[in-house]
Amino acid sequence: MSTTNKRPLKNLYLPGIQLPVGGVVSILHRLSGILWVVSLPLMLWFLQQSLTDDSSYQRVSALFATLPIRLLSLILVMIVTHHLVAGVRHLLQDVEIGVTREGGSRGAWIVMLTVAVASSVAGVWLFK
Amino acid sequence: MTPTRLTGSVQHGFGQWLLQRLTAMYLAVFAIWLATAVILDPPAGFSAWKAWFAYGPVRLAFALAFMSMLVHAWIGMRSVFLDYLKPLWLRILMHLLTAVFLTALALWSAHILLVEAAR
Repeated sequence: MSTTNKRPLKNLYLPGIQLPVGGVVSILHRLSGILWVVSLPLMLWFLQQSLTDDSSYQRVSALFATLPIRLLSLILVMIVTHHLVAGVRHLLQDVEIGVTREGGSRGAWIVMLTVAVASSVAGVWLFK
Repeated sequence: MTPTRLTGSVQHGFGQWLLQRLTAMYLAVFAIWLATAVILDPPAGFSAWKAWFAYGPVRLAFALAFMSMLVHAWIGMRSVFLDYLKPLWLRILMHLLTAVFLTALALWSAHILLVEAAR
């Protein structure tokens, strides 16, 4: 590690520094991962209710017909799609695909676009 | 400059790095398979859903996905804690809570797959 520059940074105008799109995707990857872990009990509960008996299956189905649960499903689809596609981007970067400054940005935009398309399709499917 | 010592923790870190990627690849394939299966052939009622789940390979695929997800979650949450939490006691506390949380989920998902889905 370099120890030559010990001078503290001065006059750093923070609002002028923009996080590049790759940084945004990276932060969202972490955030979506945390949110996914937090939502695991709820999804396990849905799975358990759907497999217990006919009446509990009907109850869960009825729940998925309500607006709040549909909205929640859409958010979960967005979360998992983002985590999946951004994860694929990281795996591709492991094999040196999209590691340059331009390539990283392009990959990050592709991630954002894929999530937008996938959540639109999921939205239509959920609210049709 | 002190020479770099290769200790056990270096290999440990590589193991976690590799495990995070292997579980990621399985989960990606699983997620795409599950989404495709549910979209192409939506579950038609309780008995059909139950019958699909009683099928061995499906439950095995789910079991592997749950295991992968919990391992992946542990490594992921750990790196988040190590990056953003500075006080040692807070790190240890969050690691402990996460370990308890994920262990509970592991037992619960095993119960669902072995008892509920098999009934």
